[in-house]
Amino acid sequence: MKGAQIPAPKGIADGILSFLKKGLQEGIFDALLLPVKVPAGDSFSYVLMRETDLMDQASPLPPVMPVQGAKALSNLTRYGNGAEKIAVPMRPCEIRAAVELHKLEQVNLENVFLIGLDCPGVLPLKEYLKNPKKGDALYRKALQEWALESPRWVCEICDPVSPEAADLHIGIMGAPRGKLFLIPNTPKGKKLLKRLDLKAESSLASRQTEIKKLAQKRTKNKERALRALRQEVRGPERLLEIFANCINCHNCMRVCPVCYCRQCYFDSEALKMTPDNYLMRAQRKGGLRLMPDTLLFQLGRMSHMSLSCVSCGMCEDACPMDIPVSRIFTLVARDAQIVFGYLAGRSLQEPLPQVIYREEELKEVETPYQETYRPS
Amino acid sequence: MKSFQPKIVYFLCTWCGTGGCETAASYRMSYPENVLISRVNCTGSLSAVHILRPLIEGADGVVISGCHPGDCHFETGNYRARRRIAVVKSLLETLGLGPERVWFRYVAHGEGRRFVDTAAEFNDHIKKLGPNPLKMRRNT
Repeated sequence: MKGAQIPAPKGIADGILSFLKKGLQEGIFDALLLPVKVPAGDSFSYVLMRETDLMDQASPLPPVMPVQGAKALSNLTRYGNGAEKIAVPMRPCEIRAAVELHKLEQVNLENVFLIGLDCPGVLPLKEYLKNPKKGDALYRKALQEWALESPRWVCEICDPVSPEAADLHIGIMGAPRGKLFLIPNTPKGKKLLKRLDLKAESSLASRQTEIKKLAQKRTKNKERALRALRQEVRGPERLLEIFANCINCHNCMRVCPVCYCRQCYFDSEALKMTPDNYLMRAQRKGGLRLMPDTLLFQLGRMSHMSLSCVSCGMCEDACPMDIPVSRIFTLVARDAQIVFGYLAGRSLQEPLPQVIYREEELKEVETPYQETYRPS
Repeated sequence: MKSFQPKIVYFLCTWCGTGGCETAASYRMSYPENVLISRVNCTGSLSAVHILRPLIEGADGVVISGCHPGDCHFETGNYRARRRIAVVKSLLETLGLGPERVWFRYVAHGEGRRFVDTAAEFNDHIKKLGPNPLKMRRNT
């Protein structure tokens, strides 16, 4: 595989932005979806822009992830593709979520250029808000050395470093000083390079070694972290202790890119009962916690979307009670995806496990019948 | 000490599972009284929540029966159910909440014997496992 090179003499963000600007000026894309620093200076939000003048305030790789890019993209293209082309530079987890949402028909990628970026991880949102200046400094350093100090838990174990589902990947790692790689992954990406008169001729060997090194490091982190976590959450006792702080605000569900339902079952009338019902349950359990159905919400959400969970960590960032939601989801999602040999967001061609089936599979789920049952 | 009587929820699909139950009835077969039967349109129409909610709110086990592979009234419902139950079981396994408390077994319309056997066998299986620790928790 080979890539093209673009200049980035004034830093990574500037290099990415000038490439996007060129695309906009040449009419290859008509609009951009980019994170822009909010006026208060302590957060970022995605802004859909058609002119180049807003681009000076944009930061394609912000130090935090207050909004999942795929969620923003889903807002934009939920009702189908527009007439114009939109370029969306996103982090690997956002690309993977966009792929999942495309399969779930919540994102339409027809007129969208998915542009992948290398990501060193992001800082926990709450930590960043305490001192944005310090966070910015930490992040500048991270982009130089490619090791972020105290990132979020999920970022430390994120090993699909360079997703191949993006049309075009902007490679930062392993690029020569003052340059960035442009790696086309799809025919759409190749066409884009051609229109910009860029030729994919540079060798990516240096980049691949660096990526491999980072991926190995993160995989090792992942194995270790998940092994420890598995013990911490096992069993009703420990699990309920973790969720004891949950205030049932459903923030985790609202920020999750993959939780796309217009009407969530857990917000619906299906779970709202008459007083008699609650009194009966309170009698059976010897007391009933209100708000009710906290564990049902968590377990239900896990079973609903763990097959598409990309471990982006949005849920944990949004949790006001600091419950390690994204860790538990990562663990559960990994186990569930292994059952089907599926990896969320890996490829657009891979169908969602819940919409296909094979006639001969999952025999371990069925309980075999002995001809006649004789109680022992 | 009063012996443990589990509470079991048995989901049967309208087309085969319920049929098996009717066949059992016509042969005057019996199954344990603590098995509560619930008819669903198709096992494929069951959401994970329908399995999790009884386990949290008072059941000791959940068993699901639908048409044999290839016999589904909606052609693919039972295959989809199998995938969905696989997710739930994987979730319960990961979190140590007892995946063995969920059973999935096909029962055809004519298989009355198989239906009562499944109910009795699952009942004994749950008796051996003991009460579901989740159902008595107040802080769910």
